[in-house]
Amino acid sequence: MKRVAVILAILGRSALRGLQSAAVTAAIATATIAIALFLVGAFGLVVVNMEGLLDRFGRDLQITAYLEEGYDANALRGLAGRVATVEGVYSVEVIDKDAALERFRAMSGGAALLGGLDGNPLPASLEITLDDAHRTNEGLEILTSALDGLPGIDEIAHGQDWIEGYARAVALVRVSGYALGTVLSLATLLIVANTIRLGVYSRKDELGILALVGASRTFVRTPFLIEGTLQGAIGGLLALLLLLGAFQVAVPQLQYGLTFFLGSTEPRFFEAGEIVRLLLGGAGLGLGGSAAALIGWRS
Amino acid sequence: MRGAWESRDDCPVRMYRVSKSYIAGSAALRDVSLEIRKGEFVFLTGQSGAGKTTLLDLLFAAERPSEGQILMLGRNIARLRGSAIPALRRRVGVVFQDFKLLQGRSVEENVRITLDVVGTPRREARSRVFNMLRQVGLQHRRYHSPESLSGGEQQRVAIARALVGEPEILLADEPTGNLDPDLSIEIIELMLNAATRGTTVIVATHDHALLERYHRRTLRLEAGQLAEDEARASADL
Ligand SMILES: Nc1ncnc2c1ncn2[C@@H]1O[C@H](COP(=O)(O)OP(=O)(O)O)[C@@H](O)[C@H]1O
Ligand SMILES: [Mg+2]
Repeated sequence: MKRVAVILAILGRSALRGLQSAAVTAAIATATIAIALFLVGAFGLVVVNMEGLLDRFGRDLQITAYLEEGYDANALRGLAGRVATVEGVYSVEVIDKDAALERFRAMSGGAALLGGLDGNPLPASLEITLDDAHRTNEGLEILTSALDGLPGIDEIAHGQDWIEGYARAVALVRVSGYALGTVLSLATLLIVANTIRLGVYSRKDELGILALVGASRTFVRTPFLIEGTLQGAIGGLLALLLLLGAFQVAVPQLQYGLTFFLGSTEPRFFEAGEIVRLLLGGAGLGLGGSAAALIGWRS
Repeated sequence: MRGAWESRDDCPVRMYRVSKSYIAGSAALRDVSLEIRKGEFVFLTGQSGAGKTTLLDLLFAAERPSEGQILMLGRNIARLRGSAIPALRRRVGVVFQDFKLLQGRSVEENVRITLDVVGTPRREARSRVFNMLRQVGLQHRRYHSPESLSGGEQQRVAIARALVGEPEILLADEPTGNLDPDLSIEIIELMLNAATRGTTVIVATHDHALLERYHRRTLRLEAGQLAEDEARASADL
């Protein structure tokens, strides 16, 4: 297989010569790939972070049952005990009126808001977490109706609606990302294909001579495929660096907005597997573009 | 690879009733039949437009015959698949009338291209190219680009490129057209040497001085027809 290695080296040098001889076009194509992958990658980052949050929401999903006025501590504990036996309930925590007030005070502005009031307007509540099997829409509904029937429960609140809305938003972002990715990928393919076609055209004489001295189809074509793949891979690498830079700059800037969207979750960058996919995507676009450029071309 | 092409045939070039028309109604070659033995050195002559280049083009599958059969190295190339053409060309060295050198690449690179396509290791390729360039007297020009060379020098680069791969068949189209008589003789000697080593050589030329000097078999074309196939008296024929 030494011959294969020798030929690959020859073809690699030929590809580099091709890139060199059309440095400007190659640079433009590479930059375009970088921008396209940067945009797609940015969408990807938003999606992975939103999905991470969605997961955590699911895990933290809990039901709050607000209680009617006039329960004393004993009655509260009794009610909590009954709730704990309901199918699907994992744990019950009692928040009496004082604890509720304490919590409210701890939130900024809470104290000022309550300053003028006498007495405690906040209801006591039970905070109910669900076991894994019931952390679904159906499980939640069954549980809610079961709790509704219990005496003393005034109102039941859970974050489900909000989570569903958020999930829809994530899905929307993801679909937009796919759509954008598809459009940009096609544009990128066209640009690479065009660049390679120009390269083929400007090296027509050389390719003709190669054919006359017995170069195989593969020998003539492979340098162009290498060129396209290199452009794509370098474009992917640039996109990655741009994303990393943007991530470092943007995250502190958007601190408050992100806290609102992500809660206490730290925004994360791509993991190794996702990075590899981005780079492979770039290389693949380059390879695809150059392959497209060679379709129908006879040496 | 080579095995598939091997043949016991002692005539690596055979044409049987070959005609070629570029334009319907006018034939550049008409009903040409011939055989050339392994290691034979043959002149192909005739006036300009007689069909010399056309005949050579058919032999390395640059053109396809309109009629007839062509056996090259035992294989019928009249109906050769496109993907089989490179394998044929790697065994046939061609010196083009217009050289077909790569401008902007060095003389060395131009010659090495023949070795590159068969995957000759770099070091070996370099030394073979160097030796070949020395034989055509251009080793001192190896880093020059063809456009800085004279016509005769470019012609010698083209010859070096055709011979460096030690082809089984050498086709040369007016290879001395741009050379002074002294150099012409040197180049012909080079090709005669190749023939002695077993390469079958066909040299298209209209230079009568060469035909007179080397009494070799001469195929003469007239308006596309083989008017004469003369095995001239010669020491080793
Ligand atoms: N590609 C071509 N298309 C059309 N006619 C051609 C082509 N090549 C050669 N011819 C014609 O074929 C005839 C033989 O040409 P050629 O083989 O070049 O002769 P020679 O090499 O002996 O001068 C000439 O009449 C020439 O005009
Ligand atoms: Mg001619």
